[in-house]
Amino acid sequence: MKRMTFGCLAATVVLTVSAAAPVTVTQKGLQFSVEELNVGKGQVVAFVNDDRTAHNITVTGEGLNLNGGLQQPGADFKVPFAKPGTYQVSCGIHPKMKMTVTVK
Amino acid sequence: MSRHRSNIKPLLLTLCGAFAACASAGAAPGHVAAGTDPHSFLADFQRPTKVPVSKANPSTPEKIALGQKLFFDPRLSGSGVISCATCHNPALGWSDGLPKGLGHMGGRLGRRTPTIIDVAYGEPYFWDGRAATLEDQAKGPLTSAAEMNMPAAQAIDRLQSIPGYVAAFEQAFPGQGVSLDTFAAAVASYERTVVSNSAPFDKWVQGDEQAVSAAAKRGFVLFNGKANCAVCHSGWRMSDDGFHDIGLPGADRGRAAIAPGIVQLEHAFKTPTLRNINQRAPYMHDGSLATLAAVVDHYDHGFEHRESLDSQIHPLNLTSAEKSDLLAFLDTLTSVDAAAVVPVLPQ
Repeated sequence: MKRMTFGCLAATVVLTVSAAAPVTVTQKGLQFSVEELNVGKGQVVAFVNDDRTAHNITVTGEGLNLNGGLQQPGADFKVPFAKPGTYQVSCGIHPKMKMTVTVK
Repeated sequence: MSRHRSNIKPLLLTLCGAFAACASAGAAPGHVAAGTDPHSFLADFQRPTKVPVSKANPSTPEKIALGQKLFFDPRLSGSGVISCATCHNPALGWSDGLPKGLGHMGGRLGRRTPTIIDVAYGEPYFWDGRAATLEDQAKGPLTSAAEMNMPAAQAIDRLQSIPGYVAAFEQAFPGQGVSLDTFAAAVASYERTVVSNSAPFDKWVQGDEQAVSAAAKRGFVLFNGKANCAVCHSGWRMSDDGFHDIGLPGADRGRAAIAPGIVQLEHAFKTPTLRNINQRAPYMHDGSLATLAAVVDHYDHGFEHRESLDSQIHPLNLTSAEKSDLLAFLDTLTSVDAAAVVPVLPQ
């Protein structure tokens, strides 16, 4: 599987992608690799835990209230974004970790 | 073979649901062997050069000066004898030295008073993280019946009855006057100035090999390795600002009461900073451990096993010498800070 990784930890990162393959967002250093992600309808986003500690992906918005459960180091969690709109992604364990996914 | 395991869940099934944990790939946390060069970790503990600012509440000297007065003013409590500084006492590491705080009329509160040192960096706030900003946090104890017991309207009336405050609010917040929001903005602005000074550990990070002892250096290796402290006590403040169940007994649900539906947040409390930690006994969210040695023993073998226990907690089997080295390291995190100035209050 082709993995598209965006590992920049700069202060503000906006990424727009249109890809059939899953887009990968990493969690490293208690940060998401992007702060804002723009994707097309139906895009699958894989949230990968590259930290030493466990994370917990939560996704809210557009009627969605998703809790990915405990995500151990090294694991990924894939979320298909089927409905256009804006989604807030955060870590339930480390709420300072936040990002936005906008689906066109 | 990919080291990642997939866990795709159809959106249809995700509505309003809390899901079981996705499978782990089983990557073990980074254990560090004894004898590891401690310098390999130091970059992760570099102090930032700037204190964070609030975009919504830019700091000004007028706000800080007002916030300092408000912080030390007991007239902002229902009893007239409790100020923010009563519990967040600068002489006691900006806490109170008690296992659990004392509130209105001496009532015992449910948790240990957290320090406010370096609080500018540490959102969200409270042991359970229920306040997203320092401004929100400042409103909580003021209006809580169990703590300062000062309803917002009563607080505003009291402040407006003191001409010196009316003038100070006008200087700090021109045209906005006295309100709960401007009160909180001022207190938060002051609290953001409570920043620890450079500690011996920081001097070591900067390259001074004489700043800390050999025992402390060994302790730092343990902190990052066998003892696994740094997995949560990460970064220069030694806090991930996250929430973990560390196996202390008790019925307090912690973060789970704020964010229900996540098993691992049951009995989970915010990772406290370890800056100046040897000035803030007793320890833990419930003040149940009197010394840092008892804290090390807790993590070594004393925790309660339950479903929500953080997956990073496991028996450590530390030797007496290793425990001693860890304590030597923790002692290097204390800085000599300037004495807090207690202001003359407006009349």
